Amino acid sequence: MASADGGAYSYSLTVFSPSGKLVQIEHALAAVNQGTTSLGIKASNGVVIATEKKSPSILVDASMVEKVAEICPNIGIVYSGMGPDFRVIVSRARKSAQAYLKVYGEYPPTRVLTQEIATVMQEATQRGGVRPFGLSLLVAGWDAHRGPMLYQVDPSGSFWAWKASAIGKNMINAKTFLEKRYNDDISLEDAIHTALLTLKEGFEGQMTEKTIEIGVVNVPTAAELEEAKSSPESGRPKRTFRKLTEEEVRDYLAL
Amino acid sequence: MNSLVSKFSTNNIPKQDVEDNEEYSDSMWASSAGYATNGLPTFRLPSLQQPTDFLRLHTDDHADPSCRIKIKHGTTTLAFRFKGGVIVAVDSRATAGSYIASGTVEKVIRINKFLLGTMAGGAADCQYWETYLGIMCRLHELRNRERISVAAASKYLSNLVYSYKGMGLSMGTMICGWDKTGPAIFYVDSDGTRLKGDLFSVGSGSTFAYGVLDQGYHWDLSDEDAQELGRRSIYAAGHRDAFSGNTINLFHIKQDGWDFIGNYDVSKMHYDGPGNIPGAPGTGYGYEVRTNPEACVVAD
Amino acid sequence: MSIMQYNGGSVIAMKGKECVAIASDLRLGNQALTISCNHEKIFPVSDRVYYGLAGLATDVDTMRQRLRYRVNMYTIKEEREIEPETFARLTSSALYEHRFGPMFVEPVIAGLSKTPSGGVEPFIAAADLIGCLNFAKDFVVAGTASDKLYGVAEGLWEPDLEADDLFETISQTLLNAVDRDAYSGWGAIVHVITKDKVITRKLRGRMD
Repeated sequence: MASADGGAYSYSLTVFSPSGKLVQIEHALAAVNQGTTSLGIKASNGVVIATEKKSPSILVDASMVEKVAEICPNIGIVYSGMGPDFRVIVSRARKSAQAYLKVYGEYPPTRVLTQEIATVMQEATQRGGVRPFGLSLLVAGWDAHRGPMLYQVDPSGSFWAWKASAIGKNMINAKTFLEKRYNDDISLEDAIHTALLTLKEGFEGQMTEKTIEIGVVNVPTAAELEEAKSSPESGRPKRTFRKLTEEEVRDYLAL
Repeated sequence: MNSLVSKFSTNNIPKQDVEDNEEYSDSMWASSAGYATNGLPTFRLPSLQQPTDFLRLHTDDHADPSCRIKIKHGTTTLAFRFKGGVIVAVDSRATAGSYIASGTVEKVIRINKFLLGTMAGGAADCQYWETYLGIMCRLHELRNRERISVAAASKYLSNLVYSYKGMGLSMGTMICGWDKTGPAIFYVDSDGTRLKGDLFSVGSGSTFAYGVLDQGYHWDLSDEDAQELGRRSIYAAGHRDAFSGNTINLFHIKQDGWDFIGNYDVSKMHYDGPGNIPGAPGTGYGYEVRTNPEACVVAD
Repeated sequence: MSIMQYNGGSVIAMKGKECVAIASDLRLGNQALTISCNHEKIFPVSDRVYYGLAGLATDVDTMRQRLRYRVNMYTIKEEREIEPETFARLTSSALYEHRFGPMFVEPVIAGLSKTPSGGVEPFIAAADLIGCLNFAKDFVVAGTASDKLYGVAEGLWEPDLEADDLFETISQTLLNAVDRDAYSGWGAIVHVITKDKVITRKLRGRMD
């Protein structure tokens, strides 16, 4: 059927199956489950997100592959699934964070940014002419209201807060592992080690600083926040999320 | 200088006699706008072909509200005639734009024992010309062995300001007094208008004053009630008009000359009224104060 | 005459010691004509944040509704009360959105912000009609009596005033300033925001 408004081609690609499922979203989840494993752990004084970074060939310059991305000084994300889709999400999320900064004079709380990303992903399940995003995300961040937080966002656009979670190929095993290892007053240092141990389960090949990426969220002390507030106009907000350098990752792996 | 002025001045400007005798020159009085020996004031004028055109362009005029020389306008003045004489009441606020420059201006000019002039428009113009009018009235008295009538005095003023028409004079005044004919009021303004009447109010707050005045006015008012009406009318203007207020000056002209009745704070009138005096209501004039005194204020 | 003077009215806010005060006159005018003596210009955002709007009354009303809309959306979405500084930024961006056809209002914001160590810190700010923020350490003013308010406040304000002294200072500042302004006055209202309560008082002012 062809008509002025684009006809059959303008229909949403994501349509319900007779059993009430959105098959496209299930396919997207399948894409996520083919992706390399990523995980996140919320500690008492921070959050860690980590992922396995796999190159299709040894000839690829691994420094170009970035799976943990900073969105704004207090939030970072990691994904499992399709790399190109991740780039789109990172770009949207960064813009959203800057737009929030423009209006409110501060970076968004983790929850608000997560919601923002989830909205983008949900729209892709309902709009015409697009397919759902082929990735799941782990969002780690700190804000004054809720403190350190870890969220997971799925292709359907749903999101939850987690104490620890894993996504991607080895999700099931990793989650089981995390369930055994997790306790509520785990420190950030312990969480980083737990993250590496979890990744080690079912890791293909050698675990090195080249094949691992880690991002951490540090909870700032009251004194640090006080200092950042003293010059609200020129002073940059205290950075609470950062990616670990290759040297730091190497040091953690050596332990 | 005066020769220069007469050279350039046009016919509609009063002829100014050139002072021949240097001994009595203007400089002796430290002002060229002083009263010269012949009784006529002399002024320095813009040295142009047509000084009136220049002044019309640059001074406050109905034609051009955005002129450069602004003369303050906010005021409320009133006067009315009744069987007991004339009541004259004015406010005391002077504004420069939105700034309240003074709250203690004397807007009633005491021309002589029997004549009062009110001040609205340019303060300097009113003060100067009504004082000048006082001189002329005294000269009239000396010449004619008889007090000048209110009609004659006001006519003198109106002719005088008319001769300066278009040169930026700004006055709206009521010449009030008691003469052979009894109490009399004449409204005179710088356009040259001169009106005889029983009841006038002039200034930015005049509409509010008229409201109260018209409602309470009667020829057979008692002295106390008439004074109260004057006070209450200026209060209304002071309350509602942003450019009027601070205090009320009240005068009563009777057969034997004028009496200064009193000075009243407008805000005190609002909250407490004029106190226990004949004709006064015994409460504040304010609506809220009269109708709902409890809810009126919390602290001060 | 400027559109900002059409309705008249003035607002002032001052910092104290662990408290802030915000006050306004009560006049609503139509140029020289005083229409109402009970027109409040200060509105609460939360228990710790108040703001006042001086300027064109119709825009004050519209701006109030727009800010209420935005603050409600913020509160629901973020599940928290807005901080005074965040509210100031929000107000600023809401105003700048109309850069080429401004709302004729000048906001004054006063509140207590939470410090990281759990205490409160006084916060005041003012903006012009297109949202240029001014974070002052002492006091901020707006409205037709703003120049007079600056003068009186400069003379009366001192740092670290306790709530009752701050109330006295802001009240005297406002009452004396509006007595020199033709477009402001006719009574006043003062709010003093402290850690545990907000004290609101109406003041008896000159009625002319």
